Amino acid sequence: MTAEVEETIKRIQSQKGVQGIIIVNAEGIPIKSTLDNSSTVQYAGNVHQLLMKARGMVRDIDPQNDLTFLRVRSKKNEIMIAPGKEMYAFLFRIQKPKQM
Amino acid sequence: MSNTTVKQKRTALKVAKSSKTLNVSSGVFRVNQSITKTINPSISGKSFSSASDSKVLDKSLAQTPKHTVFDEHGQDVTPHPLYNPDPGVLQPKQGKIFPAHDTSWTTVTDFPSVAFQTTNASFTGPFTKSFFGSVSASRTSQTTESVTDETKDLLVKPDLSSSLSDVQARREEVKEQVREDIIDRVVDSYLTETETIWLLDIPAVSVSEDSEDAEAVKERNKYVERSMQTFNDAPKTKEVQSDSITMVDKAVMSSTWDMYDSFCNKGDASENIVVSAEGKKATVPDSSSMNHLLNPSGPDQSMSVFSTTSTVSGSSAHLEKMTCVLPVEEEPDLELILQSDKFKQDLAVMERVVLANIFQPKLAAYRQLPVIEDPDCVQTQIEEESWTEQSKNSLSPFLEHLWVFKCELTKGRNVSSMTWNKKNPDLLAVGYGQLDFKDQKPGLVCCWSLKNPTWPDRIFHCESGVTALDFSACNANQLAVGMYDGTIAIYNVQTTEQTPIIDSSDCANMHACPVWQLRWVDHDTGLAGEDKGEMLISVSGDGRISKWIHYKGLECVDLMKLKSPNMIVNNQRWNPKILSLAPGLCFDFHPNDSKVYLAGTEEGHIHKCSYSYNEQFLETYKAHTGPVYKVTWSPFCPDIFLSCSSDWTIYLWRQDLSKPVLGFTSGQKVVFDIMWSPHCATVFGAVREGKVEIWDLRVSSLDPTIVSVTNPGVNPTALLFTPETDCVLVGDSEGQVTVYKLKNLPAGDSTQVEALEDVIRTTLSSKHTLGKTDRDA
Repeated sequence: MTAEVEETIKRIQSQKGVQGIIIVNAEGIPIKSTLDNSSTVQYAGNVHQLLMKARGMVRDIDPQNDLTFLRVRSKKNEIMIAPGKEMYAFLFRIQKPKQM
Repeated sequence: MSNTTVKQKRTALKVAKSSKTLNVSSGVFRVNQSITKTINPSISGKSFSSASDSKVLDKSLAQTPKHTVFDEHGQDVTPHPLYNPDPGVLQPKQGKIFPAHDTSWTTVTDFPSVAFQTTNASFTGPFTKSFFGSVSASRTSQTTESVTDETKDLLVKPDLSSSLSDVQARREEVKEQVREDIIDRVVDSYLTETETIWLLDIPAVSVSEDSEDAEAVKERNKYVERSMQTFNDAPKTKEVQSDSITMVDKAVMSSTWDMYDSFCNKGDASENIVVSAEGKKATVPDSSSMNHLLNPSGPDQSMSVFSTTSTVSGSSAHLEKMTCVLPVEEEPDLELILQSDKFKQDLAVMERVVLANIFQPKLAAYRQLPVIEDPDCVQTQIEEESWTEQSKNSLSPFLEHLWVFKCELTKGRNVSSMTWNKKNPDLLAVGYGQLDFKDQKPGLVCCWSLKNPTWPDRIFHCESGVTALDFSACNANQLAVGMYDGTIAIYNVQTTEQTPIIDSSDCANMHACPVWQLRWVDHDTGLAGEDKGEMLISVSGDGRISKWIHYKGLECVDLMKLKSPNMIVNNQRWNPKILSLAPGLCFDFHPNDSKVYLAGTEEGHIHKCSYSYNEQFLETYKAHTGPVYKVTWSPFCPDIFLSCSSDWTIYLWRQDLSKPVLGFTSGQKVVFDIMWSPHCATVFGAVREGKVEIWDLRVSSLDPTIVSVTNPGVNPTALLFTPETDCVLVGDSEGQVTVYKLKNLPAGDSTQVEALEDVIRTTLSSKHTLGKTDRDA
């Protein structure tokens, strides 16, 4: 089973434009990452807060609802966050010009 | 003194048969004198404690209990007296004191009384003993001892030789049983005030001063004013200090979803705390467990947090235990996370989203949505050129290449069949297997999702090459797979298990030759009996068309044997007994009439058969000179069908004519697959060696409207139209499934059925005239 997961991660990583993928557990500690340590920690901390806020907002409006996906697009790149129950994965992509 | 008081009581009792309780509620009485305890089960608040001391059993009261007892449901549970003595008979043994019996009376209704008695037993021990000693004279010695024994342990039941013995025994039994049963029971005790007891009622008589007796009365009642002084004992101060009550402030910010979560998870016992203790205001250790999500560090910190709350939490001990256990379990196991299914799902979602980004323009084109240009990316020169090129050709119809389903698993395999899922139009099943006799390798079935063209969602490895596929319409997760060795397997695509639900390798009747086509056919129109519902029908190279029933394993019933019709060889009739079966390659059920179907054979014949006859064909169409690879009814015109064969031709037939109406050839290449377009009646697609052709009969019946040449060396082998959009999927011998969009085909608003019929009519009429001219000429 872990092999499948590893494979999926590899496949995602090999897609065009994907710079890195980070798996974070529920407390915000990165458990797996394809980026270097410092950026991982930086990203993990910041994204965690954003995710909590976003999730809180969605559920405040309707408690039966839940956040399924979060995308942050910026000028240079795009961060995609998939929240899960005990962990969440997020993906860090750079949008190369016309190479999407 | 006590005796007299006892007697007094007795007499009083006798007189007042109205059975008031005789609980004397004065403290003085309690200590010194006999205290009567009645059988009456009602308790008065103060009097109850007094009653718990030595008691006198009042038998007369037993007869008419005026007080009834109700339990919590309002039912009358007044204990009926076990013994109803005669009211006139003196009860000499009345003086006996049976605290145990009293308990037996009261335990029926008032459990706490037992507790009282048991607790007070030791307390009243010395008093009762002394009392008993004093009352011993009024009782038999036997009973005295027994009573003292009873006071000691309250459980010894003496054997009394009185008439009460039975009653006592019964009472004892009752008491025993009740005791065991109700030891653990929580009983509600209702303390009510009894009615006022009149011990002495001498109503005042008033005499007016003017009457004659006034003086006499005055004489009699000599009131003297006298004062008394009570002794005031020396006061003594006593101080008590309680443990300091620590107060802790607790505050929780609870959001709407906090409350919703805790409400939903209220029922859970222990997982509760781990899962959703946020915002649980009722339980004390809520802030600690809420913070377990935000708490970054490991067990140590959380331990300390829990320990502080555990001192505060006044709630049940098991809650504390829970919180102490938590830090150990809480540590998330990395491996577990990585392996959990949820994680896989999330990753899959992530993957799809990434790919959606990449493939968005293509998917949008597929779904006929407007293509959104990425506003941030920069269009390069090359891109513009290619766009302009295509725009130049935009007037003529062409196939726009959208994307390709491929991955390393499928490289080098030949696509043999493709089918859409009936329920989920985004799911495509592709079977990979060699169609030839040579290079047979284990087959593969991949279920692709449109959302992920780089990796199939499901992969099933099969033992031999896959030659036919079909999704069931009733159970949309069942996929029937036919293989080169004749096996038919049914897979459940909901799971990733590699084993099929069932396969036909155990069936005695299984096909001996490759299964060339499979179809789930819904037969519930028009057929009676057990043939309702969906059935799997297959045709194979051993010349049989069989129906498979899933009943403790796949069983098959032959619908038809494809006998080769009588061949006239050298003007001699072929011996009918040696009829061989012609290998069947394809079949198609009529879309409207599910009893009739067409079957194409390797000899080039197309037979029209009916479900009800398994011996004879309804009709045979002979025109092809090579094996018929595909035969398909037109989805719009009920009489028209197409057939393609390896003799480089495609024929359009009408049901009632034994000769084809139209023939299509373009080049001398084998036609592997054809399919009618599900949108337009005049359009069909064909796949030849090296080319993909889309024919439109409105435009021309001589040349294909769109021809798309594939890479050299790669042969397209399968064709599939998409049921909803106007795209076409082509599978080739390299294991790739390419998705093309049909562009610029003349679209009609209707299905162009009339157009097709027109075409046919004109052709027929021209042929007719041609024929005539031929004959004439």
